[in-house]
Amino acid sequence: MKRSPVNDAIPHEAARMARRQFLSSTTSGIGVAALASLLNPIHGRASSHFPGKAKRVIWLTQAGAPSQLDLFDYKPHLKARFGQSLPDSVRRGQRLTGMTAHQETHPIAPSLFRFHRHGDSGMHLSELLPHTARHADEICLVRSLHTEAINHDPAMTLLQTGHPLSGRPSFGAWASYGLGAENENLPAFVVMISRPSGPTNAQPLHERMWGSGFLPTRHQGVRFSPGKDPVLFLSNPAGITRSRRRAMLRDLATLNRIKFKEQRDPVITDRIEQYEMAFRLQSSVPELADLSREPETVFDRYGSESKKPGTFAAHCILARRLAERGVRFIQLYHRGWDQHNKCPAGLRTQCADTDQASAALLTELRERGLLDETVVIWGGEFGRTVYSQGTLKRDDYGRDHHPRCYSIWLAGAGIRGGLTFGRTDDFSYNIVKDPVHIHDLNATLLHLLGFDHTRLTYRFQGRNYRLTDVHGQIVRRLFA
Amino acid sequence: MTTRERTSIETDRREPLSWPHSPGVLKILPLLLPWIIFDAIHASGNGSDLAFARDIQPILSEHCYPCHGPDSQQRKADLRLDLPENAFLARDHGRVITPEDPERSLLIQRIESNDPEERMPPPSSNRVLTRQQKQRLRKWIETGAPYDSHWAWDPPRRPALPLADRNPGWPRNAIDHFILKDLSTAGLQPSPEADRPTLIRRLSLDLTGLPPTLAEGTQYLGDASPLAYETLVRRLLESPHYGERMAVDWLDAARYADTNGYQVDRDRETYAWRDWVINAFNENKPFDQFTVEQLAGDLLPRPTLPQLIATGFNRNHMMNEEGGIIPEEFLAEYCADRVETTATIWLGQTFLCARCHDHKFDPFTQKDYYSFYAFFHHIEEQGRGNYGAPIRRNNPPMLQLPAPELEAKRDQLKLRLGERKRALSAAAEDSPERKQLETEVEALSTRIDEVDLEIPTALIMRERSEPRQTHVLVRGAYDQPGEPVTARTPLSLPPMEADWPRNRLGLAKWLIHPNHPLTARVTVNRLWQRLFGKGLVATPENFGTRGALPTHPQLLDWLAVEFVESGWNVKALVRLMVTSATYRQSSRVPAGARERDPGNRLYSRTPRYRLQAEAIRDQALAVSGLLLTTIGGPSVRPYHPPGLYEQVVAGKGAKTYREDQGAGLYRRTLYSYWKRSVPNPALLAFDAPFRETCVVKRSRTNTPMQALNLMNDPTFVEASRVLAAEMIEHGGSEFGNRLDYGFRRTLGRPPQNAELDVLKATIQRSLADFQAFPGDAQALVETGRTPLPTTIAPTELAAYSIAASILLNLDETITRE
Repeated sequence: MKRSPVNDAIPHEAARMARRQFLSSTTSGIGVAALASLLNPIHGRASSHFPGKAKRVIWLTQAGAPSQLDLFDYKPHLKARFGQSLPDSVRRGQRLTGMTAHQETHPIAPSLFRFHRHGDSGMHLSELLPHTARHADEICLVRSLHTEAINHDPAMTLLQTGHPLSGRPSFGAWASYGLGAENENLPAFVVMISRPSGPTNAQPLHERMWGSGFLPTRHQGVRFSPGKDPVLFLSNPAGITRSRRRAMLRDLATLNRIKFKEQRDPVITDRIEQYEMAFRLQSSVPELADLSREPETVFDRYGSESKKPGTFAAHCILARRLAERGVRFIQLYHRGWDQHNKCPAGLRTQCADTDQASAALLTELRERGLLDETVVIWGGEFGRTVYSQGTLKRDDYGRDHHPRCYSIWLAGAGIRGGLTFGRTDDFSYNIVKDPVHIHDLNATLLHLLGFDHTRLTYRFQGRNYRLTDVHGQIVRRLFA
Repeated sequence: MTTRERTSIETDRREPLSWPHSPGVLKILPLLLPWIIFDAIHASGNGSDLAFARDIQPILSEHCYPCHGPDSQQRKADLRLDLPENAFLARDHGRVITPEDPERSLLIQRIESNDPEERMPPPSSNRVLTRQQKQRLRKWIETGAPYDSHWAWDPPRRPALPLADRNPGWPRNAIDHFILKDLSTAGLQPSPEADRPTLIRRLSLDLTGLPPTLAEGTQYLGDASPLAYETLVRRLLESPHYGERMAVDWLDAARYADTNGYQVDRDRETYAWRDWVINAFNENKPFDQFTVEQLAGDLLPRPTLPQLIATGFNRNHMMNEEGGIIPEEFLAEYCADRVETTATIWLGQTFLCARCHDHKFDPFTQKDYYSFYAFFHHIEEQGRGNYGAPIRRNNPPMLQLPAPELEAKRDQLKLRLGERKRALSAAAEDSPERKQLETEVEALSTRIDEVDLEIPTALIMRERSEPRQTHVLVRGAYDQPGEPVTARTPLSLPPMEADWPRNRLGLAKWLIHPNHPLTARVTVNRLWQRLFGKGLVATPENFGTRGALPTHPQLLDWLAVEFVESGWNVKALVRLMVTSATYRQSSRVPAGARERDPGNRLYSRTPRYRLQAEAIRDQALAVSGLLLTTIGGPSVRPYHPPGLYEQVVAGKGAKTYREDQGAGLYRRTLYSYWKRSVPNPALLAFDAPFRETCVVKRSRTNTPMQALNLMNDPTFVEASRVLAAEMIEHGGSEFGNRLDYGFRRTLGRPPQNAELDVLKATIQRSLADFQAFPGDAQALVETGRTPLPTTIAPTELAAYSIAASILLNLDETITRE
């Protein structure tokens, strides 16, 4: 028996027809999410408040907290203070983690790395980021971000969900809820996680960081993994070809329609549609994840690691492909930035993992006209201390957690390139100018997506919850 | 009901207190809620069809209370619109509300003002009153601005059964009278009773989480007794799987999991508590006792082992083991988690809001919050977990469970260790004998530790010998103690009796007081949600002023009173619900009902909804015959996609998921290992929560991820193949008979001809297909660890597997109708 050609269109259309039987003419031209919201308003979504500059977000999350002192926050005067104790006038009794609170001294560890000015803007960036530095006029460096959380788990949860404890929706889930999917054949919110190549301290991550909290679970981030099943349970079992699956789904839909006729429950037709979408995912996702047709020049740009599935560099290529296909929220996590000891060595491998690929992503987004509609963010959950954790050596030091100030960069839609925003004191310990809280960052990003952060809400426990809780100021000076 | 030990709480069960009019309350009258004062004023009625709770309070709560409500810090202009005595006050510019005179009410002037400086709510608040809302407020003031207490603050009273003039023969019990009344008012008829196959499947899934077996179906269908249904209900309530079914919701609420949750997310051992819950439901432990033992089992006189295990309820919160944390910060989190969980489960209140400031919509102050917090603050616990300790070492306070064999082994080893130590002290310095003995002593000590760790443990509650001083935490910050407080319940709710201890036992007694306005209502509502798919109050987590109003307030109160008066008898309440005519209706949407009862708010049919995540997998295992029905014990590890842990874990947490090889693959899903940082993805796909915080309502979505799971997860591929073999071996020799058999096993009903035709075509097509590609057939049927039958050709088995997979994927299969 010959295998029959795949025919996607017929059952999909049939499902649409079935739905029309009870929704009459209201359905034409409305996407799946909107349809679902007609059927079941509580599972629906908001819509943007004004036209946003950005259609999507790529969040290059550097998990573990990269050292702002060695990458972004240039402090040339620290050299002269090598080994001196951090003045009490700077620390001002602020809390330290349990790892260094009881350390006898807190000796100042100037960065081992040189900083140079880059681009027309003259932005100071570390020699560890030569590729990113070429985009100095495209990125906006915020040196005055701050948070309250001092430990990884609450801090990453706060960064992603606006609250240090579990239970709230992540930014990506809010974006999915607010904007819905641009491409019906792919999830609106995709997460990819890479491990460090060097022997550094990698902090764990939790599903809650891309969870949907109290939003309907359909807004949860979908993990893309390297290997056979980029999305869980995507592949048919051994022995089931695509045409066999097509035939099986046709029979399944026929039976479900018989049920619908007698039961008249719209959930049944929605279910038929979800199976059709699953079938489409089975082809759209492997096509998306398949980098084999990318030309060699692309891999050259992202670096040799980009050919290895599951690396940050490979994920950056995938991020571009996801952006091209209209995925709303693309979140990469690269682990391994927790340099409590051997900070210089750890940073060298971490930057080797990420610098070239992050820069190549910016280049490609620009070339393909996507950077104007995509906002890219690079950074972690907090900063690191100016003083050394453990013994300070001329060529080695460790750095503990530091929530009082840290640096991230933004680029793309609506962002003012070449801007260095905010200032910290001589020790990169306290912010002296233009503090930006995580809530402010999130309010600003939501604004770029077309939302007033105070009005993107979801009712839970009698309260209208927001990503920014009761906080958040839009930092308009970051805008182009 | 089985025999049960009653605790000392029994004595005060039926002594009604004069809540809320006891002298203790009068002293704090100025702080109390408006209804005590104003009930009398407005008892005369107002001649309007506006109801304060339904039509006015939601507007005030949503738009006004944030600045003119219970929160003293945010309050503007010293105005409280939640309290009439404040709202009616004569002020410099006039009265905010002048009853019966909207023109002389500042409230109306301000909400109708066109001046943005004047207008309320201010434009900056993003709150906008609709024209209808403004009209309502005006009309309300015209009719005297009658305030009424929020419905949920008053103790429920048993209402008289309403009598409907139509369908007098329909009601089977009290529930139906209330339902019928509203149906009749809307001009709707109840639906006819569902057919027997639907009823037995519905009941079995609702009460045990498992579908009926063929034999059970045959028995029920053939039972000519008029009490056949009642007999069936009785059998299911006595099934040991009833407790498993009921436990699932309680595990969500109690945030039960097998790991600590934070950071490296190492394992904990607490299945003894989970088994206690199953057992409590099975033996029909009255809900009051169920409450007392879990909240305060350790404080009962001479607590039994199960009563101590029960207190694990309050240890299910997440536990941080991260090296750098500040222990005090997380002690505060654990306490806050207990407050939030207790308030949600028993009170249906959102106390969390009051952690940092007075509650904005409901009458709970920040001081109330920390006084409640004080009940949970004196535990002999540590803020930072045992990161350095072996993986199986639970965080204290904990309890070793009886394990006679292991204990004997350990004691024997200890004896030997004693011997060797004595010999060692007698051995000559530097002798070879000494060296030997030293090695032996070390080995024995290690071995004793190992055996000790094998003894199962339970997390429990234990009070510190020295209580801590509890403070209000300013803005909720653990390191900003404010005013000192002692343990007490919120002042806006009826007070604790003077002779109750101010500890968790006193708190539990307060919660189960027969006149408590919330506990019974909230509990009854969750049970209704369990059986009808949604609560009578659609927000089971919030019975406050911003929660949903009950669709059937009188029914809710009737059930609450009935529940308390039955001795908090859970099985009796469940029986009452499932034997109602309301429950027994068909779930088909009757003609015209979609327009007149769109959300099925009136129950013009029985709700039809997708099964919970656990039931979907359990059902597939059950209908294929794979399910192992052992109850309880350590958690198991069924099939799981590879690589998920590796991407995210670190440190000493479980680095990889190791699937079980045998029995663990086929146990009921509530026994599946639950890792909080990476919960089982198949469960998440079907809306299971993370089990990190208290959840009393799951969402119910319909997504392509669910479809992928049911089609491709080896769990379901294997179940399809095993079901296919059953169809071939036991269904007869013809297509039709075999499919009929498969249909009945899966759905408890025979197929219609049209359905049969579809599946016949499936089989014919697939047989021809696989005969042409036998390698594919072989590959398909090899999925899963169950051995292949030797008597069935792989091509035939594969063809039937496709049909079986269709059966397991049907909307009807994963739906309770």
